[in-house]
Amino acid sequence: MAKYQAMTQEWLDAWKEKIATSKEYREIAKNWEGSVSMIVNPDPEKGISEPIYLFTDFWHGDVLEIALCDKTKAESAKFVMSGDYARWKQVAKKEVDSTKALMQGKLKLKGDLTYIVRNIKTVNKVIDLLCEMETIWPDEG
Amino acid sequence: MAKGYVGRHLRVDLSDGRCSDFTIEEGLLRTFIGGSALGATLFLDRYPLDADPLSPESPLMVMTGPMVGSGFPGTSRFAVCAKSPLTGIWGESACGGTFGPELKKAGYDGIIITGRAVGPVVLVIVEGEARLSDASDLWGKDVYESTDLLKAGEPGVKVLAIGPAGENLVRFAAIGNDKGHFVGRTGLGAVMGAKRLKAICVRGSGKLEKADETRFREIHKAAVLEIKESAVAGSLHAMGSDANMDIGMINGDVPVKNWSVGEDFALSGALSGPTLSETYLTRSHACSHCPVACKRVVRVADGPYQTEEGPGPEYETCATFGTMIMNGDLAGVIKANELCNRYGMDTISCGSVIAWSMELFEKGTLTTKDTDGIELTWGNMEAVLTLLPRIALREGFGGLLAEGSLAAARKIGGNAVDAVVHVKGLDLPMHDPRGFHGMGLAYMMSNRGACHLQHAVLTTEQGMASWPQLFPMKDDYRGTTSEGKAELVFHSENYGILGNSLSICHYLTDCLKPETIRDAFNAITGFDYSFADLMACGARDWTLKRGINNLLGVTAKDDILPKRIMTPLAEGAGAGSVPDVEKLKREYYALRGLDERGVPREDRLRELGLENLRERLYAT
Repeated sequence: MAKYQAMTQEWLDAWKEKIATSKEYREIAKNWEGSVSMIVNPDPEKGISEPIYLFTDFWHGDVLEIALCDKTKAESAKFVMSGDYARWKQVAKKEVDSTKALMQGKLKLKGDLTYIVRNIKTVNKVIDLLCEMETIWPDEG
Repeated sequence: MAKGYVGRHLRVDLSDGRCSDFTIEEGLLRTFIGGSALGATLFLDRYPLDADPLSPESPLMVMTGPMVGSGFPGTSRFAVCAKSPLTGIWGESACGGTFGPELKKAGYDGIIITGRAVGPVVLVIVEGEARLSDASDLWGKDVYESTDLLKAGEPGVKVLAIGPAGENLVRFAAIGNDKGHFVGRTGLGAVMGAKRLKAICVRGSGKLEKADETRFREIHKAAVLEIKESAVAGSLHAMGSDANMDIGMINGDVPVKNWSVGEDFALSGALSGPTLSETYLTRSHACSHCPVACKRVVRVADGPYQTEEGPGPEYETCATFGTMIMNGDLAGVIKANELCNRYGMDTISCGSVIAWSMELFEKGTLTTKDTDGIELTWGNMEAVLTLLPRIALREGFGGLLAEGSLAAARKIGGNAVDAVVHVKGLDLPMHDPRGFHGMGLAYMMSNRGACHLQHAVLTTEQGMASWPQLFPMKDDYRGTTSEGKAELVFHSENYGILGNSLSICHYLTDCLKPETIRDAFNAITGFDYSFADLMACGARDWTLKRGINNLLGVTAKDDILPKRIMTPLAEGAGAGSVPDVEKLKREYYALRGLDERGVPREDRLRELGLENLRERLYAT
């Protein structure tokens, strides 16, 4: 399996491809509508000198966009999730469940929590697909 | 007298009608804090443990804690304690709402009631004066109607009232507080009924004195900000406790078809918190001084299950009258909830005994000849709604179910007991130990029987909060393993049980940092307790209640999970998994200082300052 450097467009493209080709995702996410951005707070010690903004957009089982973006676009998403680099890494490595990270305040969410709970299987599936990728993390060389 | 307390308890003997005040020495308050922990030590030291729970001699205690009435979020709680008529062991149930703070404003930290009135009475406490008044005209009326009449007669009072189920000594009868909050578990409504005490009304204007008002205000401000930031609080506000339905079904938490099926997403989708919000929710409601406002207010405007606007079902009720009985009609759940509220019945035990009877009906153990013609098929809400009044009024087959699932199963005999899902006679709450092994251990060791509120295991094992400052804790626990769970349960009990002595809502302990709760407690009382002090209070509380249960006959043989839970599921997140009971018990006993009989060791009792209990347990 190919390895990708985390937080790069190449990494995001590979993730997008995994989602787009997942029949299970398409079935689970058929009711999902809208964009989710992820903000990675800077952590210079871990090689993250500036905030990183990721934008994802999904519609009825299709993945419309997964890309690096600027702050303005990130903050325009239907859902905005933010957290420290270490937390995002834990989620992406499946060391911590994303819902638990949210409930424990390790990740923050702006947006309609009810919608997320209603569609929690979709959220879990998107993250599961991310977790399946071979990722090289900035602080792991 | 320590701050945060009124410094006065009320003693009521219903047999002779006397009401008198008494004080509790500060040393006892410092040791046990309040709530059910204080109730337990008074029960042990002052009352006959062997008395029948429904006898005049057995006390009924209504207890608050020092934070109640302070205005700190989540501290509207109070505990009702007695020997349980359902289980025969220690019984307690905590409740939010308005009664606790009002009792303190009326001039009392708690009430202890013994005796039996000649006829139905109401205990009225207004501005420090207590009296009994005739309640013959209320007897037979439901909780809602009784509450309305009492409030009309004595404006401004907060009301605790039983309904027909309590009057008829239904073993899982509940007590209602102002129609919106319920003392649900362990059948304490029947204890009130046995005493012919229809209701307690309180009103007062007293002000609680705090040790450091300025410091308290600072902490209060910080607490409100923490709640505003908390995703748990946001979730509870938006969806109530039923937010658990969707996520719980994915994680293997939600029981289906009397605990025999591992998942059913059609049911969870139909019964979930978001669905409730989108359909029948009219508004949310808050307990006294709580910014979370998790309570649902609902109305079913049309169709066969119409209700008036009133308190909506919690998650537990959506499961017992939903997934457990294969009913996906949320309106039917709301109607069943309303009937249970009006008759005054615990929705967990009531829904569980109905699920059990449906299983027996399917297997042919019960037929329409046994059920007075009711077709108890899965999902048949008409049958459920027909049955509920019959349980409350003990009519026909309803009278059998009114004894509780274990007693009913024993009466039927054969394999009927195998379908009862209980620990120590208390039906399991709606969280499946096959998906979360720690919860299984918590059920086994909870002092009121299977319980999700005598500890914080639901919170810690399912990852809703992380408290590494209190005890060694991982960021994420896998549910379907027993590894490391004994230690998690031990610590989560010691912290979570404090909710019942401090009288603070478990949901608020999930939303607030432990430091904030500790600091608020200290600012109110002036006790200056550390985390270690508080955790020791929790350990003492657990051990005290365990010792009481030992004196009531509980042994290591009772620390088990029911056969159904030890049977693996075929599907869902908990599929193929059952808790390793022997490992969990062995590790837990060592941590808790229990001997092979399940009795606290003498050295542990001395260490916790439970000398009276030690003398009773080791008398021979």
